[in-house]
Amino acid sequence: MSGANKDKAELLERLAAAGGLKAGSATEVARQLGLPEAEVYGAGSFFHLLSDPETKLRVCTGLSCAMRGARDLLAQAQAAGMPVAECSCLAACDRAPALLRERSVLVDVKPEDIAQAEGKWQAVQGAELSEDWVGAIGCGEAVSSHLPIDLAGEMDVSGSAYRRAETLGAEAVIAALDEAGLQGRGGAGFPAAIKWRGVRAEPAAPHYIVLNADEGEPGTFKDRELMLRRPDKVIEGLAIAAMCLGAEDVYLYLRGEFRGPWLALERAIAAFAEAGLFPGIHFHLHAGHGAYICGEETALLEALEGKRGMPRLKPPFPTQHGLWGKPTLIQNVETIACVPAIVMQGGSWFRALGKTEPGTKLYSISGDVARPGTYELPLGISLDELAQAAGGYLGTLMAFSPGGASSGFLPASERGRALDFKGLAAAGSMLGSAGVVVLNSANSMIDAVREQLVFFENESCGQCAPCRVGTRFLREALDRKLRGESSQQSLAQVAEVAWEMNEGSICGLGQAAALPLTTALNHFPKALGSAES
Amino acid sequence: MGKTLELTLNGQTLSFGEGDTILDVAGRAGEEIMTLCHDPRLKPVGACRTCLVEIDGWRRLAPSCATKAEAGMRITTHNERIDRHQKALLSLYLSDSVSEEATHDTADASQLHSWAARVGAATDWPHLDSQRFERSDDRNPYVQFRADRCILCARCTRYCAEVESVSAITLAGRGSKTTIATTDARSLLDTSCELCGGCIDVCPTGAMTEKKPLAQRLKPARMLDKVRTTCNYCGVGCQMDLNVDRAAHQGRGQVVKISSPETGVAPNDGNLCVKGRFAYQFIDHQDRLQVPLVRGEDGELHEASWEEALQAAARGLQGVAKRHGADSLGFISSSRCTGEENYLVQKLSRAVFKTNNVHQCSAT
Repeated sequence: MSGANKDKAELLERLAAAGGLKAGSATEVARQLGLPEAEVYGAGSFFHLLSDPETKLRVCTGLSCAMRGARDLLAQAQAAGMPVAECSCLAACDRAPALLRERSVLVDVKPEDIAQAEGKWQAVQGAELSEDWVGAIGCGEAVSSHLPIDLAGEMDVSGSAYRRAETLGAEAVIAALDEAGLQGRGGAGFPAAIKWRGVRAEPAAPHYIVLNADEGEPGTFKDRELMLRRPDKVIEGLAIAAMCLGAEDVYLYLRGEFRGPWLALERAIAAFAEAGLFPGIHFHLHAGHGAYICGEETALLEALEGKRGMPRLKPPFPTQHGLWGKPTLIQNVETIACVPAIVMQGGSWFRALGKTEPGTKLYSISGDVARPGTYELPLGISLDELAQAAGGYLGTLMAFSPGGASSGFLPASERGRALDFKGLAAAGSMLGSAGVVVLNSANSMIDAVREQLVFFENESCGQCAPCRVGTRFLREALDRKLRGESSQQSLAQVAEVAWEMNEGSICGLGQAAALPLTTALNHFPKALGSAES
Repeated sequence: MGKTLELTLNGQTLSFGEGDTILDVAGRAGEEIMTLCHDPRLKPVGACRTCLVEIDGWRRLAPSCATKAEAGMRITTHNERIDRHQKALLSLYLSDSVSEEATHDTADASQLHSWAARVGAATDWPHLDSQRFERSDDRNPYVQFRADRCILCARCTRYCAEVESVSAITLAGRGSKTTIATTDARSLLDTSCELCGGCIDVCPTGAMTEKKPLAQRLKPARMLDKVRTTCNYCGVGCQMDLNVDRAAHQGRGQVVKISSPETGVAPNDGNLCVKGRFAYQFIDHQDRLQVPLVRGEDGELHEASWEEALQAAARGLQGVAKRHGADSLGFISSSRCTGEENYLVQKLSRAVFKTNNVHQCSAT
C-alpha cells in the first residue's frame, strides 16, 4: 500500500475520531490527509454512524426486533425527547429488541429501561453485548468437539492446523477445500477453492486477504457468536489463507457495533503472536461505520479504501482486482473458520458432515422459538429440525425467512424443506447467511414484509436506480396498500419493478431486495390483500 | 491499438482493439446504445444501467460502457429482455423525476425524457416522495441544483473531480436520500468550485442549470439555434456554442446560453471556464462599442470609419514619439488577442515604433 492510499484509508477512522460529520470536521480531516474536502464529506455522509453524530440512540428495527416491540420502544424514546432514530439489524436478534447507544449494543431492552432513563439518553441501560457476553448455542445431537467450528470448544492457539497446512503445501490445502465442498457462508455460497485458486494464480503482487465480518443481514448473528467464542479459528484460518496465497497483510473488516468481537479477535491475534506463530503476517482491524451494503464484498473494499461503500462492477472480480487493485481473497468469518478443521481432518471428513450438502452450518435462529441462538448443524437440516434444536416453536408456525431479509418469506408448509443452497434456491428463496427468522400466526405478514422493505430502502447505497428507486417504490406501494389506496394496476407495477430490480441492479442487495414482497405475494396472497386480484 | 480482434454484435462481425469497451465498438459500427451516465472524458461507472446489453454465456446483463470487448463475444443490444429492462428502468426514473414539460426551462432537452419517450416508458406510475437535499440557498451567481430532476448519474461530480480536478461537489448521503452536495452544504463560492459550469453541461436531466438572471431568457432547445464559435476571452481558442434566440430583440437575435460542443472537438474537448460559459452578457450590453469612436476637438466621442480611426491613432502615436522619444510609448495587448495578433503588436512596437515597451495582460 502506497503512502497516499494509506492516508485515504484512514479517512473514515479520522472522521470517527473527530466525532463524525460535524461542521468543519470534513475540512479538517481533508487538510490532515491532503484530500479534497468534498471527498471526505461524501464518504462520511454515506455511513450513518458518521453522518448523524447528534443521534445518540438507535433502535434496531430488524425483523426480529420489530417482532419484539422495537417500534414501540422507538416511539417511547422519541416521546421522551431523546436523540433517537431507527437503525437496521444490529446482529443481536437472539436478544431482541436491541438498541445502539453511541457504539455500544444493548440487548433485551425493555420499556422500563427507556422510562427509567427519564429522557437522558446516556442513562438508557440494558444488557451490553460485550466481549464477555455470549448468546445461546447448540449443535443438536452432534459431539461438539467433532465439529469444524465447535462454538463450545476451548480457544486453541497451538497453531497445529497452520503447521499442518505448511507441511501439506498450498496446493494440497486448496485441494482439501475443494474436496470439502466448502461454499461461502456469507450469503452467495461461492466455492471457496475457486477463489483461493484464482488469487493464487494471479501474477500481480501483493496479494491481500480480507475478512468480511460486516455481519448485518437481518436475522443473522452467527459471525458475532463465532468471533466471540472462537476467534482462534478465524485468525488461524486467515493465517492459512495468507500462507497459501502469499499474502502478508490481512484486513479484518468488522461492523462498527462489534466491539466485543473486535476485542476477542485482538486477544486471539495477541495469543498467537505470543506463541511465536504466523510470523510475517500482519493483521489489520478495521471498524465499519454503519452501512449494511459494506457486507457486499466490493463495497467493503471501497470502504476499506476510505470511500463511499458503493459496490463495484463485476467483472473484474476481487480475486483479480481487489483491494487497491490487487488480487484479494475475501471470505466470510464462518467460511474462513472452517479452514483449520478441514486442514486437520481432511476435505472428505468435512463433506460427510453435511446432510444434503457438504459440511456443518451455523444457523442463526430468532423470532418465535423458545431458545433463539446459533446452532452448528449439518447443512441441509429442515426448519423443524432447527427449531427443535432451538427449544421448539412458540405458537403456531405461520412463515419463516430462511436466510436473512434477502431470502424473502416461505410458508409453514415448507417446514420440512432442506435449509441448504440448492433446496432453497429451488423454492425461489436462498440459504443466504442462514439467518432464520420464525414467525408464528400472531404476527402480521404485511408488517413483516414492510420491515424488510424499509430495511432495503434504508440500506440501498443509492448508486443505481433499480435499487435506489425500486426499493422506495415498493415500500411506498405497500404503504398505499396499507392505507387502502391500492389498485390492480399497482400490483402489475410492483411486479415489473421487482423484475427490473433483479435484472438491472448492480449488486446482490438490489437484485434480492424485492424478494420479501414477491415471495409474500406468492405465498400469502390473502394476508397481503392481493388474493382477489 | 494492438492486434485486431473480432466479436459479434447483433449478428454483425466487428473488429476492435485492445481496451475498447462494448460501447466503443457499437458506436463505431453505428449501433446506438442508450446512455445517461456515460461521458467519454470520464471513467465509466455503469451506474445508470441504461446501456445494459446481453452477452452470450453471461447470466446477467452487462453495462456496455464499462465492459471491455473480448474476442469472440456475442452481444445483443435489443431483444425482449433488454427492451423490457429499458422500459421498466426509465419508468422508474420518471416516477422519481419531474414531468417532461417541467424541463422546458433548460435549453438542452432532457436526455432522460427523450430516451423515456423513445422506449415507451410509463408516465403514469405513482410519483415518489424522495427527499434529496438541494442547497436552495446557495448564493453563487451561476449554478442552480434542482434535486427533483437529479438521477444521481454522478456525471457532474465525476467531471468536477476527474476533468477539472476541483472536487467541489460530491455524492452525499445514501439510498433514496443520496444527493449532490458540497462539504457541510456550503455555497459553491465557499468551496474549491471555479464556476466552470461543466456540471451544467454534463447533466443529462437539467438538474444542474444556469441560475437566474442568466436562465431567464432560456427556451427549449428546438426554439434556439446553436452557432459554433471561438471563445474570445483568451488565446486558447476554445470552441463553444452560442445558443441564439433568433426571434429576440425584434428579430435581431440574442445569445441566451453558452453550451459546450460535443467532446472530442479540439482544443477544449467540451471544457469551458467561468468566463467562456457565463460571461457573455457583454454581447448585448448597452456600453458595448459597435463602431469606432474618435474624440473630436469638442472633447466628445464621434462615430468614425475604421480608416479614420486608424489614422487618428497613428497620428497620435507618431506625435508622442516625435515630441518625447520612442520610449515614451508603451504597448499593451489583450489576452483576448490570438498569439498571431500579439506577435504583430510586439512587431509594431519594436520594428515600427522602435521601443521595447510592450506587454500583454495575461503575462502577469
